[in-house]
Amino acid sequence: MAEASRRSGGSGRTPSRGSAECSGGEEQEEMPGEDGNSGAEGNEETRRHIRHKYRELISSVQQNREDMLSSRSNRLTEVLEEANKLFGGVSRAREAALDAQFLVLASNLGKEKASQLHSDMIVFDPTAFAEDLLTFMGLNRLEGVESDDEEDGMANGFLPSDAWQRVGIEAEKYFKRAPTFHYMLGSFKMDPPVPKQRLERQKQKPSTEERRAMPAQLKKMEESHQEATEKEVERILGLLQTYFKEDPETPISFFDFVIDPASFARTVENIFHVSFIIRDGFARIKLDQDKLPVIEPAANEGQGTEQENQSRYQGVISLSPEDWKVQDEIIETFEITDPMIPPSPASE
Amino acid sequence: MEECSFTQTQTPSQVRRNLEKRSPEQVDQKVGEVLQYLLVKDQKKLPIKRADIMKSVVKEYKDVYPEIMNRVGRTLQQAECRAAEEGHLSLLTEQVFGLQLEEVDTKNHIYILVNRLQRVEGDNMRVDDNTGKLGLLTVILSLIFMKGNVAKESVIWETLRRLRLDHGEKNSEFGDLKKLVTEEFVRQKYLEYTRIPHTEPVEYEFRWGPRAVKETSKMKILEFVSKIQNKDPQSWVTHYKEAMDEAATPARH
Repeated sequence: MAEASRRSGGSGRTPSRGSAECSGGEEQEEMPGEDGNSGAEGNEETRRHIRHKYRELISSVQQNREDMLSSRSNRLTEVLEEANKLFGGVSRAREAALDAQFLVLASNLGKEKASQLHSDMIVFDPTAFAEDLLTFMGLNRLEGVESDDEEDGMANGFLPSDAWQRVGIEAEKYFKRAPTFHYMLGSFKMDPPVPKQRLERQKQKPSTEERRAMPAQLKKMEESHQEATEKEVERILGLLQTYFKEDPETPISFFDFVIDPASFARTVENIFHVSFIIRDGFARIKLDQDKLPVIEPAANEGQGTEQENQSRYQGVISLSPEDWKVQDEIIETFEITDPMIPPSPASE
Repeated sequence: MEECSFTQTQTPSQVRRNLEKRSPEQVDQKVGEVLQYLLVKDQKKLPIKRADIMKSVVKEYKDVYPEIMNRVGRTLQQAECRAAEEGHLSLLTEQVFGLQLEEVDTKNHIYILVNRLQRVEGDNMRVDDNTGKLGLLTVILSLIFMKGNVAKESVIWETLRRLRLDHGEKNSEFGDLKKLVTEEFVRQKYLEYTRIPHTEPVEYEFRWGPRAVKETSKMKILEFVSKIQNKDPQSWVTHYKEAMDEAATPARH
């Protein structure tokens, strides 16, 4: 408080200085008048100098806060007097704003000092508090491991690793903190499903051999089956083409071609294989004048591309063993005595 | 149970009517679920939002929420009294926890759990990472109170530096110290960390958060400081007076 009054006493412009911390505006109003008195160019150097000085002052105050607040120190007064001297040379708003900024800082410090005065007998000193805390933590000041180059009053010594635990255990007595509960066996996430794992392991052991054999077997079957189908399709296509070449004029009846009078299964197989030939465009089925299906191989090789443009038709033929038996009639009608497609040697 | 009154969206008679639609077992089950939810949430000391309780646990029992929370509050509270008079004595309604549900934010309905029982020496409570953190927190709360209920960030960091904690460095015990103090403690509602207006460069200051107010008191912290500094609490005349004043005014629930 004393500092503040001394400061305002030294300045001739008390009213505006007093409120400088909340607005630089008042001073700005005065500026143009004063500005006219001084040569602008010549002052530039001094103004820069003043700004520099202010900034130095401000940063030194910021850095030495605790020192300034100490009740033994007279630094705040000294700094304020220094700023007062500087203000004598201020003529423009920019410098005045810096002065105001400094004043904010100084008055904050003043306020803190004043509140310290309030606490009568004992002043709370964070530095002393920290020292006592270190003692409480069990700081061993004799065993200096810390470097000695610290000059700002940092206590040297060895701090035990449970230092903060000690403070914490003490602190708990001053808190109504709800103790957190913990699962005795850990929470769900951390607990692996042990019994389940055991079960799995038991099951796995006997099945390993089986499993190892299974895929190999399956693969073989699949492969052979696919190969067989392909071969059979090729064979039938070959037969179809030979029949057609032998007599290109007479169309081959579809039923003549596929029906095996001796075996229902082979008949179905034949239809199945022929369907591939049709699908791939190597042959086509059409109806003759009696509306009976006839089959002929595709005319030429260029057929493939043409096929892609054609829309696809699907035909469903249902054939049950009964139908096939009735086909005895068909067989007679069509005079089928021998299969046009003899059974492949593989199937026998 | 006036202390744990919850803002009610329904009138008590409405709630009573709704309650009749549910079987007591169903409501008990919900009470148990809410209890467990609160206890698990409290493990991290994060405040619990009413909206979250609603969304995660209460769900379709919304219409009897006030009753559920009343029972939860009752169940948490007493350590010695069993709810034998409750007719249906189930494990969950035994009042066994000794905790208190406190609303720290009446606008957004945020709750915390606090202990109703004072800790005693040698109670063999678990010592873990949180113990050290509580020690650190107590030091910070002490500084704030002793500095006049608000402390500049610089004061805190400076003091912690003297205690071998540099806020720019990773610490083996606390990890990222700055993050712990300015984020974790703040989220847990132990501290408030706010920017001081009109400062260049930007400065921040610390205040007590609502959880600190509920879990401890000015007097307790003054006792802590006194113990550390080996002084009589009354020797800090103004602080002592302030702490007495706080104790005299009934807590605002």
